[in-house]
Amino acid sequence: MTKRFILAAVVMAVVAMPALAGTSATGTNTVSPTLQVNVTVAKAISLTLSTGSQCVVNAGGAPPDYTMSFGTVDPLGISAGACGAKFNPTTPGSTPAVYYSDYKLTPVFAGQSTTNNTITAYISTDFSATAAGLLAIVQSNTLPNVIGDLTAMSKLAGAQTSVATNAASGTAITRYIGVSVAPMNGAGTLTGADSATTTYTLTVQ
Amino acid sequence: MIAPQAYEHSMQASPLLLAAGSGRTGAVHDRRRRRLFFCSALAGALVLAFWTGAATSARAQNIALQTASGGVTISGSNPNWLAGFGNVNGLGLGTPGAGVSLITSGVSGGVLYTTPYTIHVAGAGGGNRAVVRAYVSTNFTHPAILQLQSCYPAASCSTASSYTILPTSAAAEIDVISIPGVLNANYDGSLGLFVSNLSGAGAFAGADSATITLHTYAWNGSVLQLKDTDTLTLNSPSENVQTAVQLLLASAGGITISPASDFSTSFGSVNGLGIGPAPGLTVTGVGGGVLYRTPYSIQPTFASFSSATGTVKVYVSTDFGHPTILELRDSPDNVTYTAISKLVGSQTNLTSTAASTTPITRYLGLFVSNSNGLSAFTGADSAILTYTLMVP
Repeated sequence: MTKRFILAAVVMAVVAMPALAGTSATGTNTVSPTLQVNVTVAKAISLTLSTGSQCVVNAGGAPPDYTMSFGTVDPLGISAGACGAKFNPTTPGSTPAVYYSDYKLTPVFAGQSTTNNTITAYISTDFSATAAGLLAIVQSNTLPNVIGDLTAMSKLAGAQTSVATNAASGTAITRYIGVSVAPMNGAGTLTGADSATTTYTLTVQ
Repeated sequence: MIAPQAYEHSMQASPLLLAAGSGRTGAVHDRRRRRLFFCSALAGALVLAFWTGAATSARAQNIALQTASGGVTISGSNPNWLAGFGNVNGLGLGTPGAGVSLITSGVSGGVLYTTPYTIHVAGAGGGNRAVVRAYVSTNFTHPAILQLQSCYPAASCSTASSYTILPTSAAAEIDVISIPGVLNANYDGSLGLFVSNLSGAGAFAGADSATITLHTYAWNGSVLQLKDTDTLTLNSPSENVQTAVQLLLASAGGITISPASDFSTSFGSVNGLGIGPAPGLTVTGVGGGVLYRTPYSIQPTFASFSSATGTVKVYVSTDFGHPTILELRDSPDNVTYTAISKLVGSQTNLTSTAASTTPITRYLGLFVSNSNGLSAFTGADSAILTYTLMVP
């Protein structure tokens, strides 16, 4: 008799339990489904260029990612240039003039196991061969006070020019880039439009 | 085989025939006796012929209800039969009782439980076929919640539209087996029970029962003659309307929400800069990182509750393995996001006025920190949100 009672009680208890589980139930007023949210977190890194106080840095056609134009320049520093500043040649007709501008670099990175980083740059596409020696990219990590503060940008991917070390993520830094125009004469194309491309690399490690 | 009513008529005829054979003796009255006997015999023969003919032309069609293959058990004794649907609910949740099937498609405002049953027809023949009609003679006490429907033959009863509501008056009874009727055999029909999903005023949960009366008629090609009356009382077991609740999640133009244990979704590859969000996601910068955002749909459904609204809450029941990097946030408008509670006792309230079958568009946000250094994390992680729908 006792066993039957216990069995009946168990059966009644089971029957009395809310039916189903998860998304639906009967005989009760509550249901609690779950949503599992899956995600894979990846490292992220970003380096953007933007306009400083002088020449405008425009978005490019990817590639290039950005463009900047100095307009008309000349080796004597006679032309004012479209933007930025210039250093006239130390010895006109013998040494180059330099047109330059500030710009901003903003490194951002997340999910990195370290904050140590470097920003380097090199000329990945130089000015056209016919103008070789006439035009050169120069740069400075600080405000140039004299023409000599702007030095040639590396043309070697394996030996790039250092632009910054351990820059803070998310903080823009100001750098300077320019075009050196040498006083050349003679045969060849020494006037007209030309362009070069500089590639920047941010590495966090 | 002779039907009970037909047999009864034959027994009534015989005594009359036999009584006509007794008489007095005497020569004077012989001719009268013979004349009387002749007349009596003739009358008896006519009566016998009448009754015999009546029994042949209007044999007593009758039916017996039987359990059909795949149907509920029909018990009781002729002419009072018993059956029942047992536990039912307005959402059609769970597994119906033995012998009961469920139709949800094409049913508005509830679901339709069905069961086949067998009509055993006897006494039909000799130019008279059996026609069966039915109506609800004792309706449910909650007729707005429960409603009986009929379909015949059972083989054609797979859709809701094939069922006809059984009327609640004899005058409006409907055909189960229509004219020209059928001969002696077993015929399967299907009985339907509509269960409303109503909540709020007028809702009902509990036991109820009803009785169907079936009339069996003889059809001789021109006239219907009632021959048999049976009842089927649906109280064995009674129809027990249960409350039902359901809470579903679904995609709403954002990332996909899949129905898996119970639901799952993936933000894919994310990063602290919000670079390259997966399709369906938007991303915005927030303090300390970025917020990936997606709309989704919360779909509460409930039936047979006295309240027409419920409450939906959510909390993080299992947090990410890296809670300083990842955090789930909620928004009603995709503008203002707040962190979802991690406390079961203090859950984030999504709505207190959830109406049944009315989807709620909500926004789920995933904050991803842009931190670097030793606390940084890359790799797979997951969290579980538990939603709770409660209807008072």
